Order: sequence, then C-alpha cells, then structure tokens
Amino acid sequence: MLERTGIPTKAEIESITPSDERRRKGPVAVIECFQKIPCNPCYTSCKFGAIREFKDINERPVLDFDKCTGCGICVVNCPGLAIFIIDETYSDTEALVKIPYEFVPLPYEGIFVTALNREGKPICRAKVVKVQNAKFQDKTPVVSLAVPKEYSMEVRFFNIDDYFSDSTYICRCEELTLGELRELIRMGYRTLDEIKRISRAGMGPCQGRTCRQLIMQELAKATGQKMEEMPMTTFRPPVKAIKLGALTGGVDNE
Amino acid sequence: MNKTANVVIIGGGISGCSIAYNLAKKGVKNIVVIEKQYLASGSTGRCGAGIRMQWGTERNCLLAKLSTEFYENANEELEVVHDIEFKQGGYLIVAATEKEVEQFKKNVALQNSLGIPTVYLSPKEAKEIIPHMDESKILGATFCPKDGHLNPFYTTEAFAIAAKRLGVEFMTYTTVTGITTKNGKVTGVHTDKGYISTPIIVNAAGGYSKIIGQMAGVDVPIYAQRHQILVTEPVEPLQDPMYMSFALNIYCQQTPHGSFIMGRGDDNEPTDMRITSSWQFMEEMAKTCCELLPLLSKLRVIRQWAGLYTMTEDAHPIYGGVKELEGFYLACGFSGHGFMLGPATGLLMAETILGETTTIDISNLDKDRFERGELILEPSVV
Repeated sequence: MLERTGIPTKAEIESITPSDERRRKGPVAVIECFQKIPCNPCYTSCKFGAIREFKDINERPVLDFDKCTGCGICVVNCPGLAIFIIDETYSDTEALVKIPYEFVPLPYEGIFVTALNREGKPICRAKVVKVQNAKFQDKTPVVSLAVPKEYSMEVRFFNIDDYFSDSTYICRCEELTLGELRELIRMGYRTLDEIKRISRAGMGPCQGRTCRQLIMQELAKATGQKMEEMPMTTFRPPVKAIKLGALTGGVDNE
Repeated sequence: MNKTANVVIIGGGISGCSIAYNLAKKGVKNIVVIEKQYLASGSTGRCGAGIRMQWGTERNCLLAKLSTEFYENANEELEVVHDIEFKQGGYLIVAATEKEVEQFKKNVALQNSLGIPTVYLSPKEAKEIIPHMDESKILGATFCPKDGHLNPFYTTEAFAIAAKRLGVEFMTYTTVTGITTKNGKVTGVHTDKGYISTPIIVNAAGGYSKIIGQMAGVDVPIYAQRHQILVTEPVEPLQDPMYMSFALNIYCQQTPHGSFIMGRGDDNEPTDMRITSSWQFMEEMAKTCCELLPLLSKLRVIRQWAGLYTMTEDAHPIYGGVKELEGFYLACGFSGHGFMLGPATGLLMAETILGETTTIDISNLDKDRFERGELILEPSVV
C-alpha cells in the first residue's frame, strides 16, 4: 500500500501514535517514517535523547514519547518531511498540528486554509496560527494549523485554495496585483481602508468600484471575517471624475 | 489586560511614530504607541504631503531643514520596506501683493542665512520653472529646489517598522479613555483594551490633542480646523515643484505618482472636528486653480477629502513638558505642517524627554509661551 500510494495503513499509523495520556500532556512529535531508509538526522538533531540511537542507519526511528518535549527540531531536520508535532493542549477544542512545508508561496499567519488528510482529502477548515521560517530551519518552514482536536492525527497537509494567481490585477486603476495585496496583508494591513491608503487601490478613477469587493474577499479569506461585517472605506465626492474646467464652466467634460 | 510601560505615546501618526523610533534608538525600552484607528489614519494620512524649508521664522526654517535632511537619507536610515517617494522638485511660492514681495525678500535673506538655498525670482523666471502658470497674476516668487513631496503612508510605515525592530509596541484600534495622575505626576493611561501604568505620556494626538490634554487636566491652547484637498487623475510629469500662494490661497503639486494634489485654506471652515467634504471647496479650488494654472483645467478631479489642522495662535508647534503635570509631554499644534516636521519632532521630543540638550533650541516652543505672550508669529501659512 505505502509503496504504491504513499499512504500508510491504519495499522502503521496506530503503531506510531502517542497514547491519549501523553497527548493530554502537551506537544509531542509524531514520526511517520515507515520505510527503512539510510537516514538518521532525527536522531542526531534531538537534544533530549528522545529518539533511540540507531544501531544501523537503515533502522526506522523509535521515539520515547516521555522524553519528547515536542520542540520540533526533528521536524525541520527530517529530509523526508515525515515528522509532525501535535499539541492537543492548544485550546479546549482545538489541537495544533505543525507541518513541514517546503512550497511557495508560504501561507501567511491568520489566514484560513483547507486542511487535508494523508490521502489529500479535505478534512476541515483550519487557521494558520504560525509560520516559522528561521535560519536554523534551513529552508524547511513549519506551518502551524489549529484544527478540531479529533483531527490532530488526521490533518497532515493543507491547500491554499485559490483560483487567482499572484499576478492577477485586483485594482486596475492603480495596478495592484493579488500578490502585492497578499504581501500587504502579510505585513499586517487588515482592513480595506488600510489597504487603500497604503497601496492607492480604490483611489483611481473608478474609485474602488472594481477592486473593493475583490480586496474584501481576500481580506475575508485572510482574517476569517464575514464580508458583510467588515468595515468599508469612505465614499468620497465626486461620484464621477470631472474636469476642473468643467466645474468652473467653459471646459467640456468629455 | 493591564500592563506597564516606560513611555506611552498617544497618536500613531508621523509624530508619534517618529518619537517612538527616536526614543527606542536612544535605548529606551518598553515604549507603547496607542492609535485609535490605524497608523497614519488621521491628519498625517490626510495631509498635502509636501515638505518645505521656506518659512518666515528661524525656528520653523531650522525644524524643516533638519527634517528635510533626514528625509534625504530616510530610505537607508529606516531600512524601509516601501520607498518613501521623496521627490525634491522644489516649492515655488508666488508673491501676489506688494506686502508679500517685501516679506518674501526678508524670508529669502533669513533662509539663506540658515543655509537654505532659496532664490527670489521675477514672474518671468518663475514661469520658466512652471511654464503653464499665468505669470500676470503674480509679482514675484521664491524658489527652493530642495523642497518637495513624500508619501505620508510609506513614511509613517517606515518609522513604525523601524521602531518595531527596536522593540516598540503598537496598539492600533485602541482608544484612550482616561489619564491617571497622582501628586502632580502622570501615573497611567486607561484604554478600551486595559490600563497601562506609565510615568511618561506623550500627547501626539493631532486634532485630538486638546481632548487628550483635558483627560490629564492640561489645557492645551489649540483648536482643530477642517482643511480640504482634492486630487486629480494621474498624468505624465508636467510640474516639478509645488506651486503655492498665501495671498491667492492655493497649494498645488504633482506627486511622483502623476496625480495633482491641491488644497486651500478657508477661515470659515468648521472647528468641530468634522472631516466631511464640502462642494464649496471643490468649486473654489477649481476656480483658483484654473485661474492661476490654466492648463490644469483639463485635468479630472477624482477625489476630495478633508483632515484637521491643529492650529496654535502663532502657527508653530508646541513641544515639551508642561509645568502643571510631571511626565506629560506635548507634540502637537503643528498648524498644518506636522507631517513635514516629523523627523525633527521625533528627535527633539526624544532629546527633551531624556533631558538631553536638544539639537535645535525648542525651549520657547513650550505651551506656556502663550501665557507669557511670547508668540513667534509665522507669516507663511496656507
């Protein structure tokens, strides 16, 4: 099964699942490494001696759940991206699942994504709580998703669902692309008014008639707010662009 | 959520962000900036975005010169994410009355003595700089090529990001609801997100500075007045400098983005904090602009807006502490030029708060100058 599909069996998953008791205590690593591969950075990177010493480099790792602190160092050191951290103490209802993610673009913190299981099937919506990409991670960013507790051993990937590309123009008057908009959201701009002021989107001749809803949609996606509840920008005069000379008379507005 | 800070700055405009950056740069830890909406949402983000060193008093000239020199290197100094779009296209300030001619010649002499490279021009010479002007309406002009424009949002963002790098905390969408004092000293700030105890409060709240002052029991002698601006569609570059006239009541500049921004003052503008737009402004502005810069009559207006000038009686800012309340500092009353003075405000306020000798003497810009009757009247304000 695993060799053909890349999907481990139920029995294989059960064999590496931490006990309920251990999961109630805090973050812990889940090592989903089911093949004998000559590879041991998980062992060499663990500072707590939680991964048993390899007698033969082809061995599969064996984790001592009680020694594991869930620090996540093995997650970024595993070349196979086979290690995850789950933390069922994150909140009353949610668990945190930390996923190594070597793709671009990285999601930004605060957005909602579709969480997928090991088969790539959608499981639930999940909030990206943190995106860690420090130098020591050596280009293996770690994305922390908040998921309903019962899915902590299910969610292993996610989909940033979108059919626009980063080069799609959102504001045609001021030429703001979706990629630039996302970068502004990533920087912390979280309302239509803030986006408008910093980027000029919505300040062109059409006065936001094209881009307003598109920006709101993207903000809604990123912040989890409902569009109908989000604050709008001020509608300013004039309703239609008008020549200065037409205001004083004497110049045709066409 | 209650906490403690060494300094609380009220106001997330250019002044507050610049003060926070300068204090943090001097090693002050645990600084909190409180902003009612988002950064640059008030007067900073509504201003005409110009910067000039052509002032009529030594004090304003020096403050503006310090700021201009800072902005010339700000992209590097602040390690900006977005270029602040500083364009030094100059300011051409036209004289329309004999009295202005006389005053402007004095201004040029003063500015030159302070190292500001302003020149006095005949109407013909002025027309060479802005060919589309009607030179018959003017008697002369002064021109300083180092004056210009910069983007208020990017500039404020640059100060804020640089301040954050140094550990400053920004609380946006947070409203100050009260200020606590004990034995003549500041003790803290109440906000809708909790109480912050602090020995130092800086009032950099722009149009709301008077209200913040009242919360601390300090009467700040300022009032907020609405000023309006309009902006046109962007076009190819055709006017480098700002065109400005006090007597004819206009300032008009093309931004690097291509749009023209223009505004004017009006003594009848309301002082009740309203920032709605009026059709009278649009009509008057169009009339003035078409008369003085006829070519621009073909440009389309796409938007108008309003913001608050926080006026003092002598059109100079109020800087420094107050005698009635220890730990309470004012950086307000910029009378329409707070954005351009941002760098000077930050540096001088940080120096004042830390008890250092200030780079420019601002001792006579304190609040009590009005009680003492020591006004420094500025003749050059739109």
